[in-house]
Amino acid sequence: MITELLITLAKILFIIGVTVGFFAPILTWVERKQSAIMQDRIGANRADILGFTALGLFHAIADALKMFTKEDFIPEGANKILHTLSPIIAVIPAILTFAVVPFGGVYNLFGREVNLVISDLDVGLLFVFAIASIATYGYVIAGWSSNNNWSLLGSMRTASQMISYEVTMGLTIIGVLMVYGSMRLTEIGAIQEDFSRWGIFLQPLGFLMFLTAAIAENKRIPFDNPEAESEIVAGYFTEYSGLKFGMFFMSEFIEMVTISAIVTILFFGAWHIPFLTTATLLSWFEILGTTGANLLVMLIHVGVFFAKVIFFIWMQMTIRWTLPRFRYDQIMKLGWKILLPLSLTNVLVTGIVILMLH
Amino acid sequence: MAYYVNRNVKMTWWERSYIPEILRGMYITSRHFFLNLFGFIPFFLGRKKEREIFTVYYPEEMVKYPPAYRGRPVLALNENGHPACVACGLCEIACPAYCIHIDPGCNSGKQNEIERWPEKFDIDYAVCIFCGNCEEACPEEAIFMSDDCEISMLDRKKMRYTKEQLLVPVAELKDRIEFTRKMYAKWNY
Amino acid sequence: MELLIFYPLAGFSLMLALGVVMNKSPIGSALCLIGMMLGLAGIFALQQAHFIAILQVIIYAGAIMVLFMFVIMLLNLKGTDTKWRARERNTLLTVLTTFLALGVLYKVITVIFEFNLDSPAKVPDTFGTAAVIGETLFTDFVLPFEVASILLLAAMVGAVVLAKTKLD
Repeated sequence: MITELLITLAKILFIIGVTVGFFAPILTWVERKQSAIMQDRIGANRADILGFTALGLFHAIADALKMFTKEDFIPEGANKILHTLSPIIAVIPAILTFAVVPFGGVYNLFGREVNLVISDLDVGLLFVFAIASIATYGYVIAGWSSNNNWSLLGSMRTASQMISYEVTMGLTIIGVLMVYGSMRLTEIGAIQEDFSRWGIFLQPLGFLMFLTAAIAENKRIPFDNPEAESEIVAGYFTEYSGLKFGMFFMSEFIEMVTISAIVTILFFGAWHIPFLTTATLLSWFEILGTTGANLLVMLIHVGVFFAKVIFFIWMQMTIRWTLPRFRYDQIMKLGWKILLPLSLTNVLVTGIVILMLH
Repeated sequence: MAYYVNRNVKMTWWERSYIPEILRGMYITSRHFFLNLFGFIPFFLGRKKEREIFTVYYPEEMVKYPPAYRGRPVLALNENGHPACVACGLCEIACPAYCIHIDPGCNSGKQNEIERWPEKFDIDYAVCIFCGNCEEACPEEAIFMSDDCEISMLDRKKMRYTKEQLLVPVAELKDRIEFTRKMYAKWNY
Repeated sequence: MELLIFYPLAGFSLMLALGVVMNKSPIGSALCLIGMMLGLAGIFALQQAHFIAILQVIIYAGAIMVLFMFVIMLLNLKGTDTKWRARERNTLLTVLTTFLALGVLYKVITVIFEFNLDSPAKVPDTFGTAAVIGETLFTDFVLPFEVASILLLAAMVGAVVLAKTKLD
């Protein structure tokens, strides 16, 4: 009992450490540096400690320090409680999704089966979806409670955009469900040990639509209408400063990691290397004994998983710095007139193919 | 230069399906990304630098401005060590912002002395609008727009430059002098 | 162990449910309702009915309430709004609502007293899983299910038609 609890605690600490401690601060740096390199610039490199700039990595620390020390401003006429609460509501779902995200398979360590997922929920996929739908509130309440017209406009755009794209996201998830016959994310990951059963081959259209809907849910360019700087100042977080603004910022980056993780698990073979099954890997390291071999394979799998996650983060960054913003009516048209019929067709075709194969 | 944007472009089926065009755009941006990211490797191996970055580290590195650039106006100091200015006051009149103040000094009749020179010549950079009218008005090639634009100060009084601060040897202004001769000859005043 | 989670959750849900009724601003009521639904989802999850809990979150908290919030924000109702306040003086509505609430309360209390706590009804382990719910929906209750979907479709078409005529 105690060991179980300790293992779970270790997994939780690992996930929080990786997302909040590593990805969120490093991504602020990556976003600046990658955009700079893509646009033939140099990018952030001025923050230094004793003359060492470390490629501008200290900007992450400088950003955090700045956000901690800035004035926490609540505008006049704003709803104080909700204004304070909404960044928390925004950031918690972003981290919470990782409760069901497996970052490795099942390993036999010290005579104990260790499953590298915090909570192996039998409706894991739907849990992700539910949490994504809850995340809307943080942004909507933020805009409403600021007592600012731009913020209100931003939160209205957020609400309508997120509802529209949730439909597509749900329907693509149904396609994945039909293919794998399970809602358990660990099971979906385990099935993809076989390279020919990777989600990208079974649901290519589903992958594209899921990525589109997920980026729209995360409100990043090309779907950043809720915070369109050139139209409505900064959208829902116009009136936020200091740490609260930082939390919105952080939730965006953590959500990016979440999207990458979910895409990896659903479509890109989770923690598996193509053509290399876990059994093959284990047989290679047989000399190290059961625990040693398992430990090594576990490390390799976790490394592969996060490498894939980093690749998708890179891809999202590239999309963000390549495409221009859609107009508002174009977003709605894409969501309702193109993606929704396409995803319905996808479900239909998947169903027909599955029926024919059985 | 009127430029009309044709908003009724008929896109082909290929372009309207978004994905290939998005991939094309991403190919271009990621090509730049990888070229710049790994471009320094051949540089270290002793070959030509492949990076395309042309950012300049400003306070440490400076860009040579083109001669047409209008920085702060300065007075030319000719080869004899005298200001070329004859204190005619044309620049004072031409100045739309009234930032030039001249006190002429006059020849008292002695031989081997220059005819006229400015006793005082002040330009208030806090008022100056860098229009270049003084340079255009000057008949003696005495006042020029330099390429120096770093004139921010914490005190407004210090922005008022005196003659001694304004004087710059004519050799340093060669490019600008050549440029003004070419330009003003073209305009046929 | 289970009760340790159940009582705070239940208390939380009840308090928020009261908040829905007592709150003066419509947004506050809507937020309380969302919180209440999340608490309810927690209680479902506590009974190992994960699927129902998730559905509760997705459909009620995630979809319907977002639309509610959207509409409330679109109308921008404030707590001081006179139209919203006028409801307080409507005695007929107050009396009717009170009778309704008392009736429901009476029914709930009688059910609680009739309930035998010593021998709770046996619930199969598969209760509330996706497979069982799907099977029930598409075999035993297929007709009500389809009728409900047709009703929803009709409502949707009606809404579209109403919105369309208003625009012209």
